[in-house]
Amino acid sequence: MNIRTRGKSYLSVATSAALLGSVVGLLASGSVFANKNLVELQKSEANWVMQGKNYSANHFSTATQVNKSNVKDLEPAWSFSTGALSGHEGAPLVVGDIMYIHSPYPNNTFAVSLKEPGKILWEHKPKQDPAARAVACCDVVNRGLAYWPGDSKTPAMIVKSQLDGNVVALNAKTGEVYWKVETADISVGQTQTAAPFVMNDLVVQGSSGAELGVRGYLTAFDMHTGEMVWRWYATGPDSEIGLDKDFNSANPHYGQKDLGTKTWEGDAWKIGGGTNWGWYAYDPDLNMFYYGSGNPAPWNETMRPGDNKWTMTIWGRDADTGLAKFGYQKTPHDEWDYAGVNVMMLSEQKTADGKMHKLLTHPDRNGIVYTLDRENGDLISANKMDETANWVKKVDLKTGLPIRDPEFSTSMGNRSHDICPSAMGFHNQGMDSYDPNKELFFLGINHLCMDWEPYMLPYRAGQFFVGANVWTYPGPKGDRQKGIGSGQVKAYNAITGKFAWEKMEKFAVWGGTTATAGDLVFYGTLDGFIKARDTDTGKLLWKFRLPSGAVGHPMTYTHDGVQYVAIYYGVGGWPAVGLVFDLNDPSAGLGAVGAFKELAHYTQMGGGVIVFSLDGQSPFTKDVNLGEYEN
Amino acid sequence: MNKIKLLAISSATALMFTFGMSAMAYDGTNCKSDGVCWEAKPGFPNEIKGSKFDPKHSAKELEKQNVANNAMEERNAKRVENFKKTGKWVY
Repeated sequence: MNIRTRGKSYLSVATSAALLGSVVGLLASGSVFANKNLVELQKSEANWVMQGKNYSANHFSTATQVNKSNVKDLEPAWSFSTGALSGHEGAPLVVGDIMYIHSPYPNNTFAVSLKEPGKILWEHKPKQDPAARAVACCDVVNRGLAYWPGDSKTPAMIVKSQLDGNVVALNAKTGEVYWKVETADISVGQTQTAAPFVMNDLVVQGSSGAELGVRGYLTAFDMHTGEMVWRWYATGPDSEIGLDKDFNSANPHYGQKDLGTKTWEGDAWKIGGGTNWGWYAYDPDLNMFYYGSGNPAPWNETMRPGDNKWTMTIWGRDADTGLAKFGYQKTPHDEWDYAGVNVMMLSEQKTADGKMHKLLTHPDRNGIVYTLDRENGDLISANKMDETANWVKKVDLKTGLPIRDPEFSTSMGNRSHDICPSAMGFHNQGMDSYDPNKELFFLGINHLCMDWEPYMLPYRAGQFFVGANVWTYPGPKGDRQKGIGSGQVKAYNAITGKFAWEKMEKFAVWGGTTATAGDLVFYGTLDGFIKARDTDTGKLLWKFRLPSGAVGHPMTYTHDGVQYVAIYYGVGGWPAVGLVFDLNDPSAGLGAVGAFKELAHYTQMGGGVIVFSLDGQSPFTKDVNLGEYEN
Repeated sequence: MNKIKLLAISSATALMFTFGMSAMAYDGTNCKSDGVCWEAKPGFPNEIKGSKFDPKHSAKELEKQNVANNAMEERNAKRVENFKKTGKWVY
């Protein structure tokens, strides 16, 4: 089993594929059991075993105990402090009787009992080089944990990523380190904020640091041993990007061979960004997984002529080899930092041709919601998330190309005004939800626009390599002077392109949404609420004031017959860097400070999880003596 | 008025010749081949090397990430090798 490979220029793609094919054959028999367990676990509403809830990443629960007729009776059942400040992105996991809780840097992990809520079964507090904080672009966030159910040879594990670049597998029962590997080097600007993602017996880990010129890469490790199975990059030679022999054969107009170098000038691809710090989805039937690569580096477009492939790309890759079956670049030659790493939600729907298709829907930073056929990458629809998106007139579905409006382009020597969306996007890292019964996506949206002024700078490994000043503010539907009206929640039909309803929010809806068969959609707000709306109408039905603003997504699980809804509180992340680091210059924090200047009037830092249930019922209300001292 | 128009047209034409086939208004749809659709904006060169926009990157700096990645992979491989032999993970 000592077969290991990675993207190397001396390996041809065909050779890599053949080699990896043999790896897969050897691994397959051992991997079926663990993966089947994970598939079964995610079907049960007792669990929330991955950040997306399930491989479709639809954040949809069939639980109905909490529904639109009684959601007003939701009350806190219990809570837990992580002891950490900064942005608490992602959500806890629940497997059986245990909730696994993570924190931003210092990336502490807690296994907490659900039978006696809040009781810590084990904790993992890593020692990290504090210098990692200095190369994190946008607060020291972390987007969560992954769970692997184990098999006859290896125990179940919790996998975590650390800001300092380590991926750590912990025994899920004891918290002991099972293996620990390096995947990022902070001395060259590489960090990790993305949640690991488990499929079959592999865990994949993305990369962060495009604002420091980091060339994006994705690495897969064998859960049994920590051994690297493959690593593929976003830019460079095809043999290092990992293109399968039939790459983009269904859509050759997306581009095929050698574009990872040809669409860059010289060696700029080596510092060209395309990091992938977002989310993943996986289709076990196709054995393909999906994710997005982010923005090219630097932000100053004048410094990197070319289409800059394969940054800003929706990838469909084989789950065993990692080789790409298709890649669709949404924003060629990005000029606005529309990093394309956002959530990929899988659905099965009838399209305009009257046939059922396996679809992938992706609300992108650039203000477009893309829906692709996830078998071959065909572009099904590409609609504006909000009509105020102005950098693009429309996306040509035949060519896949965005038809740009030159009025809102950027270039050296100019300060461009009123570009929508802002660099923070109309949608950012929030994980959204899809109700398969209503065929509606519930999108948490930023309503932000910007001014943008590029500047030149040299590349020095490990130093910031941005190259643009940005001033961000609420979009036309908000109040630019007061700095509010920067968020929206919308219900979107990807087939018709229509919105069933839309609601404005005071601040960007940064953390995403979770929907239930109880006709509810939950989400947190930056100013410190968790809210529930009617998925049919968008009507606000319930809200609760959290101790601090929310930038993570809600989750729900059922334990001992009670449905719970949980969410992290802990304001931070890119929108709240001004609050976290006490910044006042409106262009500071990569342009976020000005946009969220009002946030400090509504919330302050803090970090933890709050769990709600109807009437606040919990093991403690069932038995008030639970956990009491007994002689 | 006509003189001003003529001057503007001449200037634009001169820019075109100076910087090659620059698009007058880059909208991203004038592709040279599949997936290759970028064009220089008016007033900007097709290549920045040697221009005032040349960032003059250091080849040594550009190579540092690759060096770091290879070093990490080698260290990880040794850890895995030891783990397979001993059953203990040593970082």
